[in-house]
Amino acid sequence: MSNAHVSLFTFISRQAVLAATPMILAGTGELLAETAGVINIGIEGVMLLGCISAYLAAATTGSGALGLLAAIVAGLIAGSLFALVGVIGRGDQIVAGAAMNLLAVGVSGSAWMLFQNARENANLPTSLPQGAGFVAFSPAWADHIPFFGPVLLHQYGLFYAAVLLAILAAIALRYTRAGVILRALGDSPEACEAAGVGVKRWRFGVLLLAGACAGAAGAYLSIMRTHTFASDMTGGQGFVVLALVIFGRWRVWGLVAGCLLFGAVNSLQQSLQTLRYTQHNAIMHAFAGLPFELFQMLPYVVALVALAILSRSAPGPRFLGVAWQK
Amino acid sequence: MTQPPSIPPRVKLGGSSPLPPDGSAMRDASLASSAEANHRVARPPRAWLTALIPILASVLALTLVVGGLSLLGYPAWGLVRRWVHGAVGNHLQIAASLASACPLLLTGLAVGVAFKSGVLNIGAQGQYLLGAVASVAMATRFAPPMPPQAIVLLSVVAGIIAGSLWAGVAWALERYRGVPIVLSTILLNFVAAYLATALLHGVLQARGTSAPQSAEIGQALWLPVLIKYTNLHVGVPIAFGLAVVAWLVLRRTTFGFEILVTGSNPQAAALAGMPIGRRRAQVMLISGALAGLAGAFQVLGVAHFMTSSFGNYGYAGIAVALLGWLDPLGIAAAALFFGALDTGAQIVEESSLGLPHNMADVVKAVIILVMLLLAGWAAQRRLKQRQGD
Repeated sequence: MSNAHVSLFTFISRQAVLAATPMILAGTGELLAETAGVINIGIEGVMLLGCISAYLAAATTGSGALGLLAAIVAGLIAGSLFALVGVIGRGDQIVAGAAMNLLAVGVSGSAWMLFQNARENANLPTSLPQGAGFVAFSPAWADHIPFFGPVLLHQYGLFYAAVLLAILAAIALRYTRAGVILRALGDSPEACEAAGVGVKRWRFGVLLLAGACAGAAGAYLSIMRTHTFASDMTGGQGFVVLALVIFGRWRVWGLVAGCLLFGAVNSLQQSLQTLRYTQHNAIMHAFAGLPFELFQMLPYVVALVALAILSRSAPGPRFLGVAWQK
Repeated sequence: MTQPPSIPPRVKLGGSSPLPPDGSAMRDASLASSAEANHRVARPPRAWLTALIPILASVLALTLVVGGLSLLGYPAWGLVRRWVHGAVGNHLQIAASLASACPLLLTGLAVGVAFKSGVLNIGAQGQYLLGAVASVAMATRFAPPMPPQAIVLLSVVAGIIAGSLWAGVAWALERYRGVPIVLSTILLNFVAAYLATALLHGVLQARGTSAPQSAEIGQALWLPVLIKYTNLHVGVPIAFGLAVVAWLVLRRTTFGFEILVTGSNPQAAALAGMPIGRRRAQVMLISGALAGLAGAFQVLGVAHFMTSSFGNYGYAGIAVALLGWLDPLGIAAAALFFGALDTGAQIVEESSLGLPHNMADVVKAVIILVMLLLAGWAAQRRLKQRQGD
């Protein structure tokens, strides 16, 4: 994108969409799982596993597509592991989710160190090979469309997949048999079982889907937006997603709005961090002395405030977090 | 939307787990007070299973990780030998293992006590970090003109209060705004981490550095060590003493009994007229205090200064608590095991094998997942036997 003639507002909006994409992806998966009555607080960990898998696969094969595929497979494996413990084994979902996060930190940290050592020993370059990372679309014709061109058309392919997924999920939840079943799984699993719908099987399936989504979201972070891996690269986004699902009152459009809002706050705080040094006016001067961590903290504070305002009014799935036993 | 906090059902049920107006009591039971969760992590009925399941899970997890690494071409036996030697090889390593068990034990107790009473405090990490920050602030920056022993005591108290207050924020968000503690504590962990780093970049920063790092605590303010040239500080026996105290309180006092009932059966507790709301508040404050104490001990006894990356003991505390079946004495045993695991893994990383110490986290996580599976299996078997009778 040619930045010269793009206004600050457009720039921040594009950054907001960029930041929101992985959260829309992972969030839609989590929303479907929660609708079916399963809460996975390990979504952050699944994203991190997606990050490392995508990076390792892309770096070793030189193919970004294989990287994305590896992240999705990692998400499926992590999702089925969680489902095995939380749905089939009826283990506590909160504890199992916390264990998934710990597992992801351990696995990704270990794999990253082993990989770096191997790469160093083989004297390979420390960046992704050419073509192994994705780049955003930048069609020249889109520049002529004011605002929407740069904001919505200069994006990564996965953004469009995320939007499509969100739309499909919203339609499916509302108008299809599968959607009715998913909602019933969360509100009245007994009725499902009585109607011949296998509660455990359906929940397992939706957790696989959620895992794949979170894995792909991880790939977005490591081989699309950046072409690197860092042990803290998910930075709590998977946890914020949990809050945003409540913020959106278990509705897809609400979730997407929350993700965009979060992305906007995030890109605003990033812009503020740079602006306070480059712009010399009274407001920016007041900000200049603050440690930048206070800005980084802002999105989480906003998420908390949003929860504080909305939590009471948002009755979620009745059996959220409760294991099903025949 | 904004119910006043004094409508009858809230007061009766103690505020923290109100029956929602739409009658979806189950939702609240599941997320906010989580009686079901408590049931799931309750120890199995038979004593031999109580001991067998954690041991089985640990052996399985270690086998999986060591086996996986040997598939990658690392010598399994050499790895195990170095790991064990690093953990308990000589008195220095044993002291190091005990010292790293200390924060795990305190955060484990923090999580354990909270989970026991159905308060899903996932926020030990944030409470631990702010405890350390408050402690280092008191010791390096705001020390009053007093004898060093008094300043040390003040620093420890500052850590306890900071952890407690941070937990109090999550409690207040649930009590007055209905935000589930699970979620608020997760988010508050991140706020705490950034807040700690901001302070380490700001008022607490050491002179002559641009890194988020505090000044070193004066040697007179270090916690005294029990064995020379080790980190085995006086906080370690205190932590184990606290585990015994917690065990006694849960077993032998009305307060402890009410906590247990509040956790396992909030409805019964409410019917019996127990002050559930007050108990939940107290449990949350105690939990935060324990995590804050872990931070204070870690900074005063081991690190002696603070940087922005100060360990993930708060998160590991969840695993410790579960491995110990949420029982204080079990948690003490689990903390010893995980402390040894961490210390050994550190040695393996420094050894010629050069394996990452993060593999200890993998072991911990797999232990928890296997334990959940085995405990679920045991519970299911018991249910089937009962139905068979």
